Amino acid sequence: MTAQSAGLALAIALMLAGAIGAVLLKEVMRVMIALGAFLFGVAAMYAYLGYSFLAIAQVFVYVGGVLVLMVFAVMTARRADGERPAIVSRHDVGSAAVAAGVGAMLFLSLRTAFGDTSVPVSRSASDLASELLGPRLVAFEAAGVFLLAALVAVAVILKGGEER
Amino acid sequence: MGALLVSIGLPLAITVVIVAGGARSVRVTRVFALAGPLAALAAGASLIASAHGGAAAPSWNGAWLAQGGAAAPVGFAGDALAALMLVIVGAVAACVVAFSWGYMAHEDGQPRYYAVLMLFVSAMSVLVLADNLVTLFIGWELVGACSYLLIGFWYRKPAATRAAIKAFMTTRVGDVAMLVGMAVLWRHAGTLSVREIVAALPRMEPGVITAAALLLFGGAAGKSAQFPLHIWLPDAMEGPTPVSALIHAATMVASGVFLVARTWPVFEASALARTVMLAIGVVTALYAAVVALAQTDIKKMLAYSTISQLGFMFAALGAGAWGAAMFHLTTHAAFKALLFLAAGSVIHGAGTQDMREMGGLAKAMPVTAACWTAGALALSGWWPLSGFFSKDAIVAAVGHVSSVASAALILTSALTALYVWRATALAFLGSRRSDQHAHESGIAMAAPLAVLAVLAVGLGWFGRPFFELLSAEEAHPAAATIALAVVAVAAGTAAAFAWWARGREAPESGVCGSAWDRVRAGFGVDAALQAVTVRPVLALARWLDDVADERIIDRLAEGSGKLAVAAGGALAKLQSGEADVYASFVAVGFVVLAAIVLWAGGR
Amino acid sequence: MIALAVACALFSLGLYAVLSRRDIIGVLVGVEIMLGAGSVLLASLGAASGASSGSVQAIGVMVLLLAAAEAAVGLSLLLSLYRTSGRSRVDELSEVSG
Repeated sequence: MTAQSAGLALAIALMLAGAIGAVLLKEVMRVMIALGAFLFGVAAMYAYLGYSFLAIAQVFVYVGGVLVLMVFAVMTARRADGERPAIVSRHDVGSAAVAAGVGAMLFLSLRTAFGDTSVPVSRSASDLASELLGPRLVAFEAAGVFLLAALVAVAVILKGGEER
Repeated sequence: MGALLVSIGLPLAITVVIVAGGARSVRVTRVFALAGPLAALAAGASLIASAHGGAAAPSWNGAWLAQGGAAAPVGFAGDALAALMLVIVGAVAACVVAFSWGYMAHEDGQPRYYAVLMLFVSAMSVLVLADNLVTLFIGWELVGACSYLLIGFWYRKPAATRAAIKAFMTTRVGDVAMLVGMAVLWRHAGTLSVREIVAALPRMEPGVITAAALLLFGGAAGKSAQFPLHIWLPDAMEGPTPVSALIHAATMVASGVFLVARTWPVFEASALARTVMLAIGVVTALYAAVVALAQTDIKKMLAYSTISQLGFMFAALGAGAWGAAMFHLTTHAAFKALLFLAAGSVIHGAGTQDMREMGGLAKAMPVTAACWTAGALALSGWWPLSGFFSKDAIVAAVGHVSSVASAALILTSALTALYVWRATALAFLGSRRSDQHAHESGIAMAAPLAVLAVLAVGLGWFGRPFFELLSAEEAHPAAATIALAVVAVAAGTAAAFAWWARGREAPESGVCGSAWDRVRAGFGVDAALQAVTVRPVLALARWLDDVADERIIDRLAEGSGKLAVAAGGALAKLQSGEADVYASFVAVGFVVLAAIVLWAGGR
Repeated sequence: MIALAVACALFSLGLYAVLSRRDIIGVLVGVEIMLGAGSVLLASLGAASGASSGSVQAIGVMVLLLAAAEAAVGLSLLLSLYRTSGRSRVDELSEVSG
């Protein structure tokens, strides 16, 4: 097993284990840790595929931003309860069947697109900046506007909650 | 390229600014509204200058909705014809905006008014700059929508909303014909770019060309209110008067003429289409002039006059003189916008639209009266005002093709002089017939009038450079034609004053009686069209309601109702409002759809 | 093919969380996992098809931004709901049924 395929195996293992933990665990903090593992796994996958910028952005934005935000929100929301922060779920068979069905359909319908390639590695040089500031400039700017809109929405939602 | 961008983009940007500014800042934003038309005017002027210098027309092209091998083309080109229309639109719209500052000052909803006005300027720029029929159609429909919004500006008034809907629906009839015509061209020429259509014409069968030309003319007739699709224009006078001046006199209703001029080679290749156009144009011109005689509402009189003058333009197109048609379009835009704005000033100052209640306004409103007189002189075709030159060019061109048609047009000029001078006398001469105090309008309303009056007086002298710019053939009227036309106009004018003098104490007696009522109602064309189109549809609907709905569907419904109640009871449990249950439905739906696609695609 | 299988499995896991979790926070975690699965799929498909690294990363960044905004709005909903009702369970949000 080369170092490279070991990296791939590690990334996949991190993602799957993290996702399974995040979905099945009950205690909120453990779910968060599992989610963190999953997000790191995704970053590792990006790195393996050769998308170094995306990997770093993933770590910064998700692990450094979203995950911390989630933990904060959970701690704020649960503090008054005094009970053990736990996530309730109803582990019914129906949801599992539906989810598995969707996954299977996705796999079947995308199979031809992948052909027989195993996991390839991108070797082309990174030209992200020219891409984002060139042909995708409008989309990039729209994403900025979208983020702003989300910020406003956050403010509105929280304000509405206060007033009620 | 810059000119194209400015004339379309700036008015659009101002629309956004006005909407964002809202009612509180409309006193500021309405000043910006002047910049939109002025931008279009400047762009048009620079395009004319570059066309004059022999430079190639700036253009821009792009593909839109590219699917497979086909794409809807989007393209603009600023050639001389487009530049001319831009100048007209910009000049009239600028006057109208300035006029509106005074006229609409006390109205609610001013931001809506100015925003739609700017949107109209932008849409009109799209229409005139389009170098293919798809882009043209986009502008075409946008100006129609703006027209609808502005006719219904006073949406609390039932007559205004009805008129707006009528205008929209009637022009739709023409637009359907135009769309079918575009489809025919697409099918047989394989393109909708005007230049490529022209190039493809020799390869097309004459029958196809005639069909396409007639269908395009159908669209133009709807937009330009040609008989029998004219019925919406008199009703459209429910909108604010400056709007009538801009949209329903000078620019939008003339875009039908522009469309024919733009696609001229298609019409040139079809003699039948030209004959139809000539016939409809002459009939419209004569018919609308007669109907205008009987009007008592000053705006409706002007509306029928507009229909009549548009008939002149289509007659010129039918005679093959598209240059003369465009020349008359230009002068008509100036003098008819002037007349409408002067009428607006009268309505504003005298507080009525009914000419029987006016009278003696010349003393109270001298500036308005002077400007109106200039417009009336131009409309009736007195030398040396603009209408004389452009109308004679049309009469001369039509005379080359058909002497009957040109005689009818000369008769129409006499009638034109009759109705406009009679209206002038009724409104401005004599003594006041109502006790309301009339007052002269402010500078904001007088200045645009003065500008348009100068144009209406002087434009006629620019015939030669005009035809050179469009590289169209200039029609030189024969001396006999000119003499005949002058006599007709003089006779009409004299008859008007005689008529007025006879009935000056009781002006309503001039046009009362059942015969005049019929004329005033447009010889019942409107009612007849209602009877043959709207009423059968309503009757069918009522029949369906009686028979199909109550006897068949209701019974079916009662039977299935019981089934539905049972099924609904079961399904209602699914409508729990729980987000996760809904998400499950979405997911199951995805699985089913993907399975179908995979199964169907796998075979 | 491995990447596709992994991505589909991850997507299923995320969807399962969205469907089965009763807490908003659990649903949000599920959505994040689904987005991650999509991004992984995109990245590996991009690498497989030889698309330019820049364009793949550009789209990845877009997804990242989307996910961040989604998390912010979702968490503010969580806080708002918690403040008004003291609870944060999805099944109590049935007011949308009217």
